[in-house]
Amino acid sequence: MRRFVFVLVCFVAMLVPVAVLASGGEGGFNGVVRTLEVKYHVHATRIPFLGLISLVMGKNAEYGVSNLHVAEFDDFHEAMDGEELNSMVAQKLGPEWERVIRETSRFGEEQSLIFMHPEGRRMGLFVLDAGGQELDVVQVSVDAEHLSDKINEYQHHSHHNDEGD
Amino acid sequence: MKVRTGLLKWGALGLSCLALGSRVAVASVAMFASGVVFAGAEAAAQDSGLPLPPAVEKELAAKASDVTEVTLGKNMLGFAAKFMNGKDEDEAATRKLIEGLQGIYVREYEFDKEGDYSMEQIEQLRKYFETSEWTPIVRERERKGRESTDVLVKLVNGESHGMFVLEAEPKELTIVLILGPVNVDDLSKLKGLGGLGSLGDVQKDIKGKKGGEE
Repeated sequence: MRRFVFVLVCFVAMLVPVAVLASGGEGGFNGVVRTLEVKYHVHATRIPFLGLISLVMGKNAEYGVSNLHVAEFDDFHEAMDGEELNSMVAQKLGPEWERVIRETSRFGEEQSLIFMHPEGRRMGLFVLDAGGQELDVVQVSVDAEHLSDKINEYQHHSHHNDEGD
Repeated sequence: MKVRTGLLKWGALGLSCLALGSRVAVASVAMFASGVVFAGAEAAAQDSGLPLPPAVEKELAAKASDVTEVTLGKNMLGFAAKFMNGKDEDEAATRKLIEGLQGIYVREYEFDKEGDYSMEQIEQLRKYFETSEWTPIVRERERKGRESTDVLVKLVNGESHGMFVLEAEPKELTIVLILGPVNVDDLSKLKGLGGLGSLGDVQKDIKGKKGGEE
């Protein structure tokens, strides 16, 4: 019986670090958000049912926007190491994501990172923006041509309105 | 030069998300509207992609109070081209230009005080491009030596296949590298791409200086 308990305890002891490592190894949007939560001891606000909303948007979106993920950190006071943040995000997103814009201030108070990932005729966008006491993380997939057509419609409409004024 | 410019197209993306009516979505997507968006990069996300001496780039970044990096690789330029439907003549020309480019790299370093970067660092950057392939078209030095502009083009069989701009001010340093068939007149076409709005100013600057030399 004592041997059984010993084996059980060893098994559990081995399982804990494995579980911790597994959660730490989560990639993508969730991986970035979880890592920020753990590293800076903050909690992200997420929109309930965003996955469902995103799915509906993906089917009906007028602008070709889908796969929307949003997380917001309020009262984010920690100064961040821009290089470390960049490496973490790049690692979590994986090599298929390319960083296109990075703005960083030396003392870490403002950080912006934009990564993109071609998805056929769509494009995945990942944006992390920290400023003041807030940090926002957004991931979205857009259909460039669809979105472009809509924007042109708005511009055309706006142009006509301007002429009318 | 500021990255947060000229990003009207992405404002529409913000609009679609605003439709969700969530405060979080509003707050998060606001950065799209405020112009923090868009561009493209080379293969590895971790690498800067800019073919400059990495040590100099790191040293400058370490000293700067603010660093802005825009990296548009061939993939991302191809995607950006999709935003130009080609119905308009100018858009069609810009689309053709973008599709032919291999990459656009912009680095802007802002410093708290003069002397935070050294003239040796500037010289290292210049020397890196002082090869037979690159031909200087603008070389301007202010008498006190703290302000300078260098514009070099990469000539292959008499045609421009790249452009390098190095603009140094006492507290600001701007590096622009465009790889692919491009000339000074094309810079204003590229300003339509988010994050590259200031290329139009660079063009004016170069033209002004070229005019001054003539």
